[in-house]
Amino acid sequence: MENERIATVMDHLFRHESGKIVSVLTKIVGPSNIELAEDVVQDSMTDALEQWSYKGVPDNPAGWLYKVAKFKALNILRKENSHRKYQIETGHLINSTLESSVDIEEFFSDEEIADDQLRMMFTCCHPSISSDSQIALTLKTLCGFSAKEIANAFLTNEDNINKRLFRARKVIRENKVSFEVPVGTALEPRLQTVLDTIYLLFNEGYNATEGSLSIRWELCEEAVRLAMLLGASELVQDKNEIWALLALMLLNASRFNARVDKADALVDMANQDRSLWDKQMIDAGLAYLDRSIATGNVSSYQINAAISAHHCTASSESTTNWENILKLYDNLAAMDPSPLVLLNRAVALSKTNGPQKGVDALITLQKEAVLMGYPYYHAVLGEFYLELKQEKKALVCFKKALKLVANNKEKRHLENKVAYCKSVI
Amino acid sequence: MSYPCTLGLLMGKQQIKPSVMKEFMLLVKTEGDHFASMSAETQQAHVAKVGTYIGNLMEKGQLKGAQPLELEGTMVQGTKGSFKDGPYSESKEVIVGYFHILAQDLQEAVAIAKANPLFEETEASIEVRPVKVLEGIN
Repeated sequence: MENERIATVMDHLFRHESGKIVSVLTKIVGPSNIELAEDVVQDSMTDALEQWSYKGVPDNPAGWLYKVAKFKALNILRKENSHRKYQIETGHLINSTLESSVDIEEFFSDEEIADDQLRMMFTCCHPSISSDSQIALTLKTLCGFSAKEIANAFLTNEDNINKRLFRARKVIRENKVSFEVPVGTALEPRLQTVLDTIYLLFNEGYNATEGSLSIRWELCEEAVRLAMLLGASELVQDKNEIWALLALMLLNASRFNARVDKADALVDMANQDRSLWDKQMIDAGLAYLDRSIATGNVSSYQINAAISAHHCTASSESTTNWENILKLYDNLAAMDPSPLVLLNRAVALSKTNGPQKGVDALITLQKEAVLMGYPYYHAVLGEFYLELKQEKKALVCFKKALKLVANNKEKRHLENKVAYCKSVI
Repeated sequence: MSYPCTLGLLMGKQQIKPSVMKEFMLLVKTEGDHFASMSAETQQAHVAKVGTYIGNLMEKGQLKGAQPLELEGTMVQGTKGSFKDGPYSESKEVIVGYFHILAQDLQEAVAIAKANPLFEETEASIEVRPVKVLEGIN
């Protein structure tokens, strides 16, 4: 019983509580001093570990952490008041806190915590910060990832991540980025950046084919959690895009475990064991999609979610409603005629009008330099040629794709294709 | 004078049989601060293990007391009139905490020490010492 309680309480406690406390403290010390907030939280976590290793885990571990973090923060602020090591720009907050005309407890109410996490999201995803750095800072501050964990997730080294974090904090300081959720007409474009960053974060976890599976899954979970925080907030009124993004992420995430087989090889969607798709997640995704459609405006997240929904609800590749999917890609291409969208559209087109149409569509995309350097383009074209029994052409495509992929799983996948072509030529 | 206190009464727990349990001090030693370098993920996993570990000891009424100790501090060493100066840096290992526990015998106390999740995270040593009892007095 006791152990179960601890397991439940502990689930993500450190990650998520640290995100909450960093957000609240950042409001108090100002976004220029995010690092100060991060340090205080890190320190509190270490203290918790030490105390709990001897005293056991308290009944309310989160409350325990708040208390310790508050105390530490107040101590530093009192010292800073005389030393001014950190430039503290939200003077009124700090001074009133120090004079205790404002009870610091008020900063840690559930509502304030939720709002501060949102403010933190908008701060980390400020358009003046590069998207690499946005993601790194979001993971560090809101999701409680260490630089090392972020490095693992991005298959890079810790130094690199620390540089990104450093740049992000610098931009925040230099641009005097404020700690608030924008209001009025400023909100929409800023919300778009936040959502795009969340989706990038999700895709980092979802699309990587190497690296620890648990970390990649956590990235997906964190992306969903952040989107849900946005969805639950009253600071954002128009939630259409948030629901659409949540739908898209949940529907895609439902297939997470079916994409690799027992031998650790990649499995195309056509060949996936659909019983491995997470039914509950699909239902949740569909519910969000309904909500998003009910609220109005069409967005690219919504169309992508609808496409994903078609896949998720089909019993097999052949019974998939490709006509509708093609229409959805047409709509998407009308909004965003990017080479990637057109590439995916070509796949749907080949399903409805035959592989030759797919080939034709892809040939017209040859002028797109981005696609020429994208292994998936050549692999898809190769698949079309295979269906047309033109193995020689297919072989050329798979070889091109093979040259472009870096990771081993994809390499093996393509090598099998190359070997197959050679065996039938 | 009151009745000789049995350990069972002292601990206020019913499950354990009084009088057979002995007291032990487990002195935990590590080289430096091992918690600070853990990632949030490992920290969390560690806390879950530690919670279970301490929870079990408490449930069985085997934990009399435990404290972490600060890494700083100093050693008072020498004899009256000729104390040596300076911190005790001769040994790399520092006592970072103690557990005051109850166990049937040395063997069980050692098992409890070995089960400490600390060993999963870092190189450490735990000195297991029975608390000396004088029959008829303690």
